[in-house]
Amino acid sequence: MEDSSVFLLCLAASSGVPLYSRSKGSSRQLTFSVIGSLNGVHMFASNQDVLLTSTCTENTRVAWRAFHDSITLIVMSSESGASKLSLNRLLENVFNAMVLVIGLDDLVNIKNVERLKKDLRACYRLIDSFLLETEKMGDLTQCVDCVIAYDVPILQECLDNFTQAAESNFGCLMAGGKVVVATEKWWRLSSQEVMLLCWLVASLAPHSSRDYPVYLPQGSPTVPHRLLTFQLVPGVDVCVLCGPKPSLQKVETELIERFWKPVHDPIKSCLRVQMRSFPASVPLHHGILGLLLINRDMNKSLYTVQAHPMEEMQKTDLKLTLEQRRSALRSFYTLAMSRYFPSERADGKNTLPSEESFQSGFSHSAHQCYTISSSCKCYGMKTELHLLFLLLKPEVPTFSMRSIANKTIAAFTKDFPF
Amino acid sequence: MDYTRGVSVEAAEEEEERRGWDSHSAGTCSSSYTDCSSCCSSDLEPEWLDRVQKNGELFYLELSEGEEEILLPLSPLEPVGVNHVRFNDSEAEILSEERKNVGKNSEPRFRKLAKMLKKKHTSKKGSAGLNGPTCPTSILKQHSSQKAGIIVRYQYRDTCLYVNPDRLPEGEPKEKSNLLQALIGIVHQSSRNSKRIERQGSQEASQRLSNQEKLVVHGFIPGSPAIRCGQILIGDTLVAVNDVEVHVENIERVLSCIPGPTQVKLTFETPVLCSGTALQNQSTQVQTSINDLAALVWGDEHANSQQDLQRMSHIVMYLTLRLDSDTSKEEQEIIYQYPVSEASHKLKSIRGLFLTLSDMLQNVTGAPIISSSLILNDELVHVSYWKENDKLLLISVPAQRFPLLQLKNMTADIVRTLKFMYSTLDRAFCQAENISRLDHFFSLFFQRALRVFSLTGIAGYGSQFYDACSSLLVENLPGVRWLSLPEDIKMEIDTVLSDLEALDFAELSEDFYEMRRLYMIIGTCLFYKGYLLSNHLPKEDLVDVAIYCRQYCLLTLASERIGQLIIWREVYPQYHLKQCGSSATEECTEPGGRYFLLIVGLRHFMLCTLLEAGGCTSKATGHPGPDYIYVDQVKATLLQLEMLDMSIEDRLSSAPNPCLSCADWFLPSTRDKLGNFTNSAVLSKLQTPPKKAPSPVSKRRLFAEAASSLRTRRPSPTRSSGGSDSGTDGAGESVGVVTHSTPDMARKFGRRESLGSGGSDGSGGSGSLLKINKKKYSLPNPFSSGSLRKNLSERETDDIYNTIKLTSGPENTLFHYLYFETLQGVFISPTHKEVEQLGGSIHPQLIKNFHRCCLSIHSVFQQALNQKNSKQSDSVACMDVAGFGPIKEHGVLFECSPENWNDQKKSPPTMSYWVVGRLFMQPQPQELYVCFHDSVTEISVELAFKLSFGMPL
Repeated sequence: MEDSSVFLLCLAASSGVPLYSRSKGSSRQLTFSVIGSLNGVHMFASNQDVLLTSTCTENTRVAWRAFHDSITLIVMSSESGASKLSLNRLLENVFNAMVLVIGLDDLVNIKNVERLKKDLRACYRLIDSFLLETEKMGDLTQCVDCVIAYDVPILQECLDNFTQAAESNFGCLMAGGKVVVATEKWWRLSSQEVMLLCWLVASLAPHSSRDYPVYLPQGSPTVPHRLLTFQLVPGVDVCVLCGPKPSLQKVETELIERFWKPVHDPIKSCLRVQMRSFPASVPLHHGILGLLLINRDMNKSLYTVQAHPMEEMQKTDLKLTLEQRRSALRSFYTLAMSRYFPSERADGKNTLPSEESFQSGFSHSAHQCYTISSSCKCYGMKTELHLLFLLLKPEVPTFSMRSIANKTIAAFTKDFPF
Repeated sequence: MDYTRGVSVEAAEEEEERRGWDSHSAGTCSSSYTDCSSCCSSDLEPEWLDRVQKNGELFYLELSEGEEEILLPLSPLEPVGVNHVRFNDSEAEILSEERKNVGKNSEPRFRKLAKMLKKKHTSKKGSAGLNGPTCPTSILKQHSSQKAGIIVRYQYRDTCLYVNPDRLPEGEPKEKSNLLQALIGIVHQSSRNSKRIERQGSQEASQRLSNQEKLVVHGFIPGSPAIRCGQILIGDTLVAVNDVEVHVENIERVLSCIPGPTQVKLTFETPVLCSGTALQNQSTQVQTSINDLAALVWGDEHANSQQDLQRMSHIVMYLTLRLDSDTSKEEQEIIYQYPVSEASHKLKSIRGLFLTLSDMLQNVTGAPIISSSLILNDELVHVSYWKENDKLLLISVPAQRFPLLQLKNMTADIVRTLKFMYSTLDRAFCQAENISRLDHFFSLFFQRALRVFSLTGIAGYGSQFYDACSSLLVENLPGVRWLSLPEDIKMEIDTVLSDLEALDFAELSEDFYEMRRLYMIIGTCLFYKGYLLSNHLPKEDLVDVAIYCRQYCLLTLASERIGQLIIWREVYPQYHLKQCGSSATEECTEPGGRYFLLIVGLRHFMLCTLLEAGGCTSKATGHPGPDYIYVDQVKATLLQLEMLDMSIEDRLSSAPNPCLSCADWFLPSTRDKLGNFTNSAVLSKLQTPPKKAPSPVSKRRLFAEAASSLRTRRPSPTRSSGGSDSGTDGAGESVGVVTHSTPDMARKFGRRESLGSGGSDGSGGSGSLLKINKKKYSLPNPFSSGSLRKNLSERETDDIYNTIKLTSGPENTLFHYLYFETLQGVFISPTHKEVEQLGGSIHPQLIKNFHRCCLSIHSVFQQALNQKNSKQSDSVACMDVAGFGPIKEHGVLFECSPENWNDQKKSPPTMSYWVVGRLFMQPQPQELYVCFHDSVTEISVELAFKLSFGMPL
């Protein structure tokens, strides 16, 4: 198996028929016999009342997960950053993506496998976006990626009015797949749904407007809602989640012009913060390379690996280093979350002890942690409301990391509340 | 009635005598070993001789009498200490103990008795055979042949009980003469019982009448051992005590012969209604005799853990991937499994899954399989694999007991030990006679797994607790806990050990018998209370031996309770064997060399000796048992070393160095209680334990000795790193030596010194060092003397320990530390005593967290080391993708607040502490873990690391 390749298999649990398989970073596919035995061991175990969840070899991890006794997802990853946490979240996301696009009913009661296969093609793009690591962290954190734009109050007001006019409570303005502002009700959706909707919009080919039926995995997995999206400027979309009314055409012709034309400039300025996810005016220590800030209350996150985009423009091999930074931050996040910081899944649905909770063995709670390697330093911090993960230059002295983290938190709680 | 009294008196005498004998041998620990050895082996046959098994192996353990006395009053409720338990590590061949007959003969020496009684025993067996088909000894044989008659009408069950005749109410045994009730707590209503009580005088006659009557359990005495063990059921029939058949007639006599507090094995006959219980029954049988060692080590904890263990789904299996297609036997792929219990049945039934996974994933990914996770009965279970050739070893434990991180390392350790013991896994598992030994081995393993868990729930105190939580981490480290000693003592030990290794004794010299000696000693290592004092073994061998001792809990055992321990077995140190194999082209050093491990423990000391046969010595043939000359020599060495007991004990109970603080001191609530502790003077006073000051005379003597030794003896390079470990070792050693001569190192030295004590003249070569020592003559520290090489900084902090701290600032903020050195395979951490002295209510939790956190940090470092290794072999490219690079430092901040905070108005005060681990790659990987208070300024942390880095072990 090649380095850093990922295979994702989806099978019908009862019959073992492969529904689809996606892969990343590998030229060849898994042979049918391998797929068969990967599924076979899981089936064999479940027949014996044993649930096989994961296996690892020296370079590869495999995770199994059966959903509603009808769909089995198997992922096999030889990426160095792969962990139990990341694979489990990937499987969860993939299944939720399937529900989002084709609804739970069709997945639980499989009547026609060929038909289902055809239907599932619709979610390939979304699933692939989970496999191909992007500039977002939502797949791992299961929080929605956000940006802090310049004129948030104006945009917020505009969105609220627009959503109201569209006879809905759920509205959201996105720039490059990240949320700029959203209505209050939108935030009340479960964090996974919010995240999935963003990823869905980002994964679809750009259109000026769209009327897309979605099943909310937790809110309404069987009854579809309409997701209306409108491109305001390339890269910036506004979406509304609504019932049978109003029609797409009505909203597009009557409301878009009316509400969004006046704020054309603030909308355009959203694109400028995309790379950094927040305005250049936010003071950041120059030693910070990357940052991940999670608001635990609202389940939203800020994520960047280019904390100082201007200074780094000139560098030639920027792409490679960005890739490195991403993987470094992801591994650090995984390490901290799976070992030290207590995980609090607000959903409460994940009662299955599929992951060993190492942190539950600690009698005192961990609040901060750091790692130092030859190429970078990482610092993680947990406060009442936030989780902060910093990726720092190796030149930053170890003892100053804590104060940098404190200052960063302070910046995002006082001056630019997040 | 008279009769019973007479016997009990006799028994007491016997007890007395034995104790006297014991203390005598303890007393004669003068250096003249001939005296001792004559004392120990005045009989031609040493007492362990009849324990030697057919293949020459010996596992002989005798508990100390003293500890029995200490332990009994402490825990009047639970049977903690077990006196004089002798057992084999193969329970299938338990040699029945004839202690019950001891009283009848007034012979003082146990061995002679045993010999004499052996004959009696056989005759008894014969008579038992006549009596009926229920011969206890044959039962015991039965269970090794795993199929335990399923349709037999009676099942035999062994139950081990701890009984203590000393605790019988004084007058009672005489009145009732019912030891069965008084001692064990079983009520047997004899049909003639009432009559007997009436006519006490004619007891003998009535007993003769009831000759054939069986001893049926009719009830229990509340609070008695029988009811506490919970394994005896009403309706059972007691057929044997310690494998001696009993009935109504002889039971009192047999029981009255129990000389002192001891463990007895009761064999019960249970009417079995269905054959289904056969399985369960069998498993309990397997465990009871194994329990001895575990019960010994863990005392009363052990009792409840037994039931836990039954429920825990755990298994060890050794499977083969190659199947003969012609013989379609059921379960033919299972070569070995343990245990056979209900809970493990499910894991066994899905073995096909493990085989398929390991095979398929290896083909797909090209790398061996490591672990799997399953959910079984709503419980997460980890499975760890070890694949070798076409065989697969897998160990499965619930995740609650072992984090996966640990299980992986434990599996590797198990494989290492098995290879050490049996050369290859195949040899270990495929030979039928090893089965019971492996059962024992894995039983201990699971017991340990359970123990760690049982302690995670409760907050404990004392060294037991410390031991348990440190085992979480320590059992992952390929090393042993090391205790640095003052130079003179160390020198003395080294000298004594070297003398032993030279094998230059009259009996052993080749001229004496005009034949080649049997064995050559490769090296020895000496443990005291589980701490390594001195090591003359190559590192790999040391680790092998240490892990072996760890698996058999010997290190824990040695810290408390050994009276005498002798272990002898053939071993296969991979290091030597590999060397042999690789150097086949050159002059092969010892082609036919065989290796034997001899461990002799005497009270707190334990000396492990690795012997080599073949090569320059005569070739070993067959399965040689322990040679008593060697055993005696080692024992003599130990007796010789025992005079150092005091000074080592002093070292153990000396003030912690570097200074440690208790976490509770940093919480305001306790601070109020204890007064103002910001004053460092008070703090340091507190840290200086009251126990510390030994009598001034001994201090002065010690010091004088040390000083003179310093002047007269030039420190020779230590051998502790193992001479045969080639160049790398030498390098490490030379660093230690160079320290004294090179000026810049000395400057560093001086700086460190001044850091703590303010002004000192430590700046210039070894001469000044000596000066320092002289100057410090007045310091009340017995260890202020030989502070040269080796444990340099340790000792040095010791030197000035009243003022120096590893951390800076007004308060000492270091809570705990652990330093692991791979070059020598040792680690240093605070001693049990030190931790115990700190006490506190939060501190134990802190220590637990520290170890758990270190486990995680250690695994990160392991990853880093692997990455580095793979990077060396592969290209640099893969590193770039990973982006992370190997981690060299990792820290976690914990926050805690006092428990049961009842002040509602204020939120509880919090105290934060760091657990930081660092990995030093150069020259050899070393890991340092420290736990310190949050308030430490960052710069001083850096400094502390720097200082410790300069710590040449």
